[in-house]
Amino acid sequence: MAFKDKLGNISLKFKKNSAAPTLAANDASLLKRFARKWQENPLYSTTLVLVIMIIVQTIALGFDYPSFGAWFSSWGKNWINILRNNASVGIVALGMTFVIISGGIDLAVGSTLVAVGAVMITMINSNTTGVLTSAGITGVPAFIIGIAAALLMGSLIGSVNGFLVARGRIPAFIVTLGTMKICRSVTQNFMQTAGARVPREFRAITNTTIGGEIILPIIYWLVIAALLMLIAKKTPFGRHVYAIGSNERAARLSGINVERVKTLVYVLSGMLVAVATVINVGRIGSMDYASAGSGYEMDAIAAVVVGGTSMSGGKGAILGTVLGMLIIAVMDNLLNLVHVTPFLREAFKGFIVIAAVLLQKKEKAA
Amino acid sequence: MNVSMKGIVKSFGANDVLRKVDFSVKGGEICALLGENGAGKSTLMNILGGVLQLDQGQIELDGKAVAFHSPAQSLKAGIAFIHQELNLINDLPVYENMFIGREIKKFGGLIDHKEELRQTRELFAKLDIDINPLAQVESLDASYKQIVEISRALMFNASIIIMDEPTTSLTDPEIERVFDMLRTLKTQNVGVIFISHKLREVMEICDTHVVLRDGVLVASGPVKDTTIAQIARNMVGHDVRTEALAQTAQLDKEILRLENLTQEPHYRNVSLSVHAGEVLGVTGLLGDGRSELFRTVFGDGGKYQGRIILDGKPVHIKSTRQALALGIGYLPRNRKENAIIKDMNILDNGSIVTLKKNTRFGLINRKKQLQDFERQRKELQIKMESPTDMISSLSGGNQQKVVLAKWLAAEPKLLILDNPTQGVDVGAKEEIYDIILRLARQGVAVVVLSNEAQEIIRVCRRALVMYHGDVRAEVSGETMNEANMMRLATGG
Repeated sequence: MAFKDKLGNISLKFKKNSAAPTLAANDASLLKRFARKWQENPLYSTTLVLVIMIIVQTIALGFDYPSFGAWFSSWGKNWINILRNNASVGIVALGMTFVIISGGIDLAVGSTLVAVGAVMITMINSNTTGVLTSAGITGVPAFIIGIAAALLMGSLIGSVNGFLVARGRIPAFIVTLGTMKICRSVTQNFMQTAGARVPREFRAITNTTIGGEIILPIIYWLVIAALLMLIAKKTPFGRHVYAIGSNERAARLSGINVERVKTLVYVLSGMLVAVATVINVGRIGSMDYASAGSGYEMDAIAAVVVGGTSMSGGKGAILGTVLGMLIIAVMDNLLNLVHVTPFLREAFKGFIVIAAVLLQKKEKAA
Repeated sequence: MNVSMKGIVKSFGANDVLRKVDFSVKGGEICALLGENGAGKSTLMNILGGVLQLDQGQIELDGKAVAFHSPAQSLKAGIAFIHQELNLINDLPVYENMFIGREIKKFGGLIDHKEELRQTRELFAKLDIDINPLAQVESLDASYKQIVEISRALMFNASIIIMDEPTTSLTDPEIERVFDMLRTLKTQNVGVIFISHKLREVMEICDTHVVLRDGVLVASGPVKDTTIAQIARNMVGHDVRTEALAQTAQLDKEILRLENLTQEPHYRNVSLSVHAGEVLGVTGLLGDGRSELFRTVFGDGGKYQGRIILDGKPVHIKSTRQALALGIGYLPRNRKENAIIKDMNILDNGSIVTLKKNTRFGLINRKKQLQDFERQRKELQIKMESPTDMISSLSGGNQQKVVLAKWLAAEPKLLILDNPTQGVDVGAKEEIYDIILRLARQGVAVVVLSNEAQEIIRVCRRALVMYHGDVRAEVSGETMNEANMMRLATGG
């Protein structure tokens, strides 16, 4: 890539400027730099852990197949399952990454999911209670309006969280603990008798098959992850999030509008929850307001933490969260393959979260 | 009780902090311990307070040699050290604070609140203190907190009390209250060591004084035999005037003008003006309000009264973002807490202010970002390997230059530098002075806040001296010398 070459040239120039390094010294410093990056950047160790887990998982899956093709197809199907089952939590975890890097936390994601689902389903459901249906709007236009309403609801809840954290100066843990309770309870109260089914056609948004497999959720997840990686690394907003998480005072004294950035982080989280809601509702065609999305907050936080993002803010990466999600998912799959009872799987999840943080701590001390 | 410290020697590595210092204080006497920052006052008191161990010398209490290996030992011997940051627990009532760590217990290990309350009342009556022992410490103002802390020391039978700059955060009536307490202590035959920069207060309350300079005792004796000017001269030494670097430049148009800016309790009625191409110094000692004043100008100080006029237009600055947009740059004091983003690399730290300017289709134009930073790097001679190394890999001086770089990239018309050479070695210091003067030549209005008189003399054409939130005087040319500035800064 031409762009990258230019970057390389510029950074080369920097090196030339600093007191004429010999070739040997340069090699040594390159090696040293790699060693330091390994310590500084948890992505290296996270990737290593994931690769090891994939190898073990592949072995556990076995090679007892008539042909390579048959083995590969089974292996691939297993992977599509893993990715699809984790896509919506994976998307929520991406928003959580931004929140945690900014120095906050969003416990309300699971409840936001049902509140958003309630709004969307109320708009498009095929019963007489459907707002759009009774107004005579059906089909694709109704779906577009319904999804827009979902995104709006998600960002609305996010902006309330963000406002209370940034302007109200209430700890994020408290704010989102509160909205978590409020969202689910209010939703359940109002949706007691309302229908919860969406028209069959809506489900195409998730369940349309490509090459015989349902892979749309995976595509949504990865496209959003790529987009957010770009935002995190290449936009002023993304850099400001890191700056605020690392040193809020210094960020403010650099002219950054700290309140606005913090609020936007929660809005982003809320919007990504809305995307996850659309995927979930599309997948099963309805929503159980009592149980949907419950535990999402903890699963998302677990993925973020295993992915190497620091709970104290300022450090972390979107890619890390994707890897973290995969590590947890592959382990879950592995436990399934070796017939570990479902009751124990959560324990393993807990174990890996603690182990991941322990590992990162050690790196810091080294 | 009489304390005397004889021939105290203390060094940290190759750095001799105290060289054979003699110091003594008697019961019923208030002794001022004076000196510039780094003169050795704190080290001497930390030795007496048991925080540090002496290398050579001897401490005697009432003629008997003693050795303190911990603050607890020193306290037990009757010496209480009251630090600037008070050691009270805000959420507990006064009387419980009096017994923190030494609670009076009833049978069964429960706290005997009644007895604690009774003893507190008794002591307060004896010392003529008018504080409700049941009040939450949080609800007390700073002077009463200090009084509580002093009485706690007395509750533990302290007979020598060391107070480290007790008045810096107090208003005038509060100071008077603390002084009343000190006068009561005298009648109780308690000795007080009063560390302060405020010479006027020293003249008012102290009986004797001791001046340290570079770890050596340079003057001592009864306060009534000396003057503020004499003490200031002793603190600074003599032959310290270094040649001024600042040139008398042609003054360009007025960039910043403050009219009666007030923010209680930090500063009041401050009026000043800064012109393009000028370096204005603002100096004073701890608690003078200069940092708070210019934080306000940068939109980080909260509500204020008075007018700020920037480039001829009155503005009400409410946020740092607004200040940046108005063309103000601000290098804060305490680099680590206020300026360095430790988890980011050098490039990010050096361009965080201008990220929004260097975007294309919403994405950061990295090439431009690198080019801009490279220009500043050359200009400021920042020594580093790669711009993607972490900021923490640089020395203090180079970190400070990176912070400067981010502001220079924003091309401010007014640049406020608060303690710009804090934690920077001598060589880098001179380089930063050069940068400041070059900026002024380029037409930037620069304000340098500093507590080092030498620094002000070196880079500023004129300077304001603040004392306790008031601008005492403007100095320039002949009047801009250390002794005079020290006199003004100490309230003389």
